Amino acid sequence: MNNTVMMHKDCRNFAPVDVVKGVCHVHKQMVMIDSPVCESYKMLPKCENCNNFKPDSAQADLGVCQAETTEPWTYAELNAVTCEQYRKKKSP
Amino acid sequence: MPKKLADILKEKGIPIEFQYGGAAPESLTAREIKKEPGPRAKKLLDLYLNTLSSATIEFPYWYTRKWSELEGEVDIVRRAAALKHAFSHSTPTILPGEKLVMGKTRYYRGSFPNPANSERYFMLKEDELYKAALQKGSAVSDDVIKFGTGGGNVTQDFGKVVSVAGKFGVRQEEVLAMNKVAYEWVGKSVEDVCNRYEQMVPGYDFKEKLMRSSICMFDSGFTEPLGREIMNYYFPLQYGFDGLMELAQERKAEVAGYADGDGITGMDRLYFYEAVGLILEGIQTWILNYAAEAHRLAELETDPIQKSEYEEITACLEWIAHNQPRTFREALQLIYILHIAVLNEDTVSGMSPGRVGQILWPWFEQDMAAGRTTEEEVIELLELYRVKMTCIDALKPKAITAGVSSGNTFNNLCLGGLTRDGQPASNRLEILIIEAAIRCPCPQPTLSVLYDEKLPDDFLLKAIECNKTGTGYPAWMNNKNAIDFLLWHYGPEGMTQEEARAWSIGGCLETSAGSWHELTLNEKTYIIPGGAGQPTSVGVHFLANPKILECLLFNGYDHRVGLQVFPAHNKKLETYDELWETYKQYYEMAVGILTRCNNIQHDIWRKKNMSVFHSMLKPDCLTTGRHIGNMGIRYNGTFSVESCGTANLVNSLASLKMLVYEDKKYNLDQIREAILANFGFITAEETGSYSLAEQVKKEGGETWDDILSDCLSAPKMGNADQFADSILKEYEEWFCNMCTNYESLYAKPLYACQISVSTHGAQGAVTLATPDGRLRGTGYADASMSPYPGTDRNGPYAIFASATCWDQTKSQNSQLNIKVHPSAINGLVGSRKLLELTKAYLGAGGFHIQYNVVDSKVLRDAKANPDNYRDLMVRVAGFTQYWVELGAHIQDEVIVRTEYESV
Repeated sequence: MNNTVMMHKDCRNFAPVDVVKGVCHVHKQMVMIDSPVCESYKMLPKCENCNNFKPDSAQADLGVCQAETTEPWTYAELNAVTCEQYRKKKSP
Repeated sequence: MPKKLADILKEKGIPIEFQYGGAAPESLTAREIKKEPGPRAKKLLDLYLNTLSSATIEFPYWYTRKWSELEGEVDIVRRAAALKHAFSHSTPTILPGEKLVMGKTRYYRGSFPNPANSERYFMLKEDELYKAALQKGSAVSDDVIKFGTGGGNVTQDFGKVVSVAGKFGVRQEEVLAMNKVAYEWVGKSVEDVCNRYEQMVPGYDFKEKLMRSSICMFDSGFTEPLGREIMNYYFPLQYGFDGLMELAQERKAEVAGYADGDGITGMDRLYFYEAVGLILEGIQTWILNYAAEAHRLAELETDPIQKSEYEEITACLEWIAHNQPRTFREALQLIYILHIAVLNEDTVSGMSPGRVGQILWPWFEQDMAAGRTTEEEVIELLELYRVKMTCIDALKPKAITAGVSSGNTFNNLCLGGLTRDGQPASNRLEILIIEAAIRCPCPQPTLSVLYDEKLPDDFLLKAIECNKTGTGYPAWMNNKNAIDFLLWHYGPEGMTQEEARAWSIGGCLETSAGSWHELTLNEKTYIIPGGAGQPTSVGVHFLANPKILECLLFNGYDHRVGLQVFPAHNKKLETYDELWETYKQYYEMAVGILTRCNNIQHDIWRKKNMSVFHSMLKPDCLTTGRHIGNMGIRYNGTFSVESCGTANLVNSLASLKMLVYEDKKYNLDQIREAILANFGFITAEETGSYSLAEQVKKEGGETWDDILSDCLSAPKMGNADQFADSILKEYEEWFCNMCTNYESLYAKPLYACQISVSTHGAQGAVTLATPDGRLRGTGYADASMSPYPGTDRNGPYAIFASATCWDQTKSQNSQLNIKVHPSAINGLVGSRKLLELTKAYLGAGGFHIQYNVVDSKVLRDAKANPDNYRDLMVRVAGFTQYWVELGAHIQDEVIVRTEYESV
């Protein structure tokens, strides 16, 4: 893991309830979405964690998906748990 | 100190905060019936009460991505493929303790916008297109529309959350993507395409003015094109998804290349079946993704009980993703999934589950007989179903979500009615549904009893017990009226008496056509009902009756927005007949232009954004190969003209007729001056209160005391007063007939729809003072048969006499709300009184009645101390909503309704 502080919104063990909070399936408690993760952190598949994602140089929240030849636009925070083209980055 | 109207009237001996039948106890009175949900449902309901309304762009993103990729494909196939992509990629979330799972989005109370219909309302607020959209007539100005700021409403940005469309929270990191998705639909959405064609209707400018003045509250075709109708769960319940996919494949082979005598839509059948196959694959994958998530959580779980519950979820979902459900739990889970799938397909509100207790009876009966379940287990599942249905949110433009629906989504579950062969249809499962609604009070699904005199008293008294919880449900609907209305309107489409009995309520109280289906489970055959009609409450949306009268009095001019809305009539209005004739002319002009524009909107919708999955569910789309837009559905004459403010219109006409034309105490100019002067009162916008009682007199406002007093004392609807009631009768007979002179895009006559939802607040806010003494900006009377608050002085039976002076079967509905103090109906004796009251009204020909069982003092306390009342619910119009999520217009109106201290 690099120096970026991971938040619960980045964790696979986190189930969002709403835009500010969710449930940690490991510790079985409500946690804030923007609070730092614990040692049980597991990376959530999403575009920014995918090898196929190429971020936009001007707008970091956006990018393109290089898995398709047409390179459709996408966004960094898009969940990819159901994406068949997701390829986990070695180093997020 | 300036006086409030309430104080002035009290001094005059005509208190506006009126209690009929005695005086309420001085202390706050709680509702008599209060039970608790089981621990599992309680935990999940408590979680809901602490959850923010949250939106994500995930589903529209995946939809748009595939839609863009498939440019050039046949539209219905392109749309089905895009929907498949969106369903297949939705992130599954399952929370601990859930037994019924899945949802609209990964959030518990989640929703998303539907850019294929309309895109500008969720753009960045600083975007020029967003600003331009606010200038359009269809966007009612924000100053008249208020959300409640409590509960789960996200009315302001905070932290990393951005408020969208007035009440939905979006994560900041999704905002750019949301804006980008919106931009992909600019010029392509139903709204944008139909707007180009609407402008070809001669006099389109008049339509824009009607919208800008809020005489009409919202367009129909791109806002909520589906809903106010009944789901039909039959096909998946009978055949399972695999069976349906097989059927679609077979039908494709049969129809490919054949027109079969239909040169217009015959060839379309191939594309329809191809689309059906695609959407079924998408929904199947969606379900299986949740099954996989449950499996993943089971692997992660250390608690053996929770682990086994996750495993049960996996087993349930894996089975119903392919097959006919085997158990009550599987069947309930499946109908919930179907419901959410339809809601995700389009922009929808008022998609009602219908007669769930009769639809799920086969599984309940067989599970109970086999000892596979107990009534307590069934009640727990029904409680969980309530919580999941309450979690349904719909992200739409603020004008609609706040101004019309108060954030409600109107999923109406019906009880009772008659079977196909005319016997009472209530059953034991319906008793358990009511029990679950008593134990687990929450807004969805709201309940309606389809009252018929054949229904047994124990069932009816159970429903009354539920009324006494104060949740506002069940509403009471007249089964006989509904059947008469349906046969009158759908007889020409082939409806029989037997089929009319399959009806149900769609949305809050839209009478909707149904059909019967033969379902086989374990070789036993049952007859179950389901929806069989197009969406209702489509066509001409809410016309503000008193506002049209206001324009008439000012020669077509709207003083609030400074606009010549109607062409000047330049008449002196010297007789009441001339006034009434001119009113009708204005009204018909409005209906005429709005019908034409809305027909174009819906036509573009059916060409560009047609329903695939919902069509497939409804008879006879799957058998004929035609989607709803191609009239594959059994009943198509569902478009209507909706009105609002009936009581204030009738009372105003009565006032003018008596004071100006008969007694000649005032002339019209004096009335006009009084209206413009707001009868000497400060406006509601200035006071910030929308209750008539709270309005404050201006310094020097005494000039208008006499005229106000006379206007308030003029005859009022709801008192069995012949003078007022004859005006109501004349209005209703004209209105119900007038609607049928207009034709929908499906070449069927329109009909009258008389509900207010929340528009009586928003449209009251844009209306000047009215000749009945109502002050500027305050709400209209709710519903259509509800008297104006404080004006019903002769008790409930007088209201009934007024309300039934016309033939209510000529309207899709008519609505009456009564507020009853809890002490008025205490005990079994009180229950019987309330039941007798209900029977009396419906027996006299009333279409609908519902009760707010609440102490008005509790509501005032809740207004002052909202933090203490997070779970307080009230009945507004045809729906129940959490008090803290209601806007001030509606809160104030509910508070001042006449309170009945005895029935």
